[in-house]
Amino acid sequence: MDEKNNNQSDVNSEEVINLVIARLKTIPDNAQLSIGSDREPLPAKDLIEEVKNQTETGKKIIESQLYFLRSLQNLPVA
Amino acid sequence: MFFLITRPRYELITHYLYYWSEIIIKGAEQRKITFVDLKKGKASRKLVESYLNKQPVKIVIFNGHGNDVCITGHNEEPLIESGKNSYLLKDRVVYMRSCDSGKVLGPQLIKEGAKAFIGYKELFRFWTDANSIRKPLQDEYARPFFETSNQVAISLVKGKIARESHEDSLRMYEQVIGKLLTSNMPNSFIVSDLIWNMHNQICLE
Repeated sequence: MDEKNNNQSDVNSEEVINLVIARLKTIPDNAQLSIGSDREPLPAKDLIEEVKNQTETGKKIIESQLYFLRSLQNLPVA
Repeated sequence: MFFLITRPRYELITHYLYYWSEIIIKGAEQRKITFVDLKKGKASRKLVESYLNKQPVKIVIFNGHGNDVCITGHNEEPLIESGKNSYLLKDRVVYMRSCDSGKVLGPQLIKEGAKAFIGYKELFRFWTDANSIRKPLQDEYARPFFETSNQVAISLVKGKIARESHEDSLRMYEQVIGKLLTSNMPNSFIVSDLIWNMHNQICLE
């Protein structure tokens, strides 16, 4: 399985979705994400719905969270 | 004229791009560098094309919404479109702070003779604090996204070449990310999206 297909299956995994939702639940209520050309920024509670519903935005959130978790071992620490 | 900058302002995303670009402009003013500031409604295709046709602009800095093939200005008017008027950026250094322009438009600019292109090959994203929208420069959720991406333009305006400017920005990303990872700061949740922007910021020559 190539990397793209591997990433796609990760994005659809229930375990991964639950992990991403758990991370989103830690975000303060006053924070909102501007992503792409979506006109209104989205607070974490809306992002959770996007992830649950597997929308395009939700998939982008999962993709970036997975990238973050995979890159943790290579990240700089001040 | 040394550089041209576009900074439309008509909704929240461009509102933040507009105000955070002031840092770049103030730096240029302090250094007494000549530039044109196409802000708000002046971020139009007509004016951009006119300046690029008539003025010896070395660096062009775009802020705004974008996609694979274009960068937009006021009210999402396409300013530069791949294969249509992208030849106007020949011999120029270009920085596009927008979504996706690194996918097709950036490579097209290089193909048509631009000296360098710095931009993003995926969606540029940032967090904001709903309580700070009226004061974007005081928004501590947004600050790391704009300080790191501003660094590209700040280094270019200081006279550094594109590759050095891109690397200056990446170094700043590393510093900011390192601090956020080892702190209990209330904005540490932004790290994953900061890493996303860093990973997708590209420099083509």
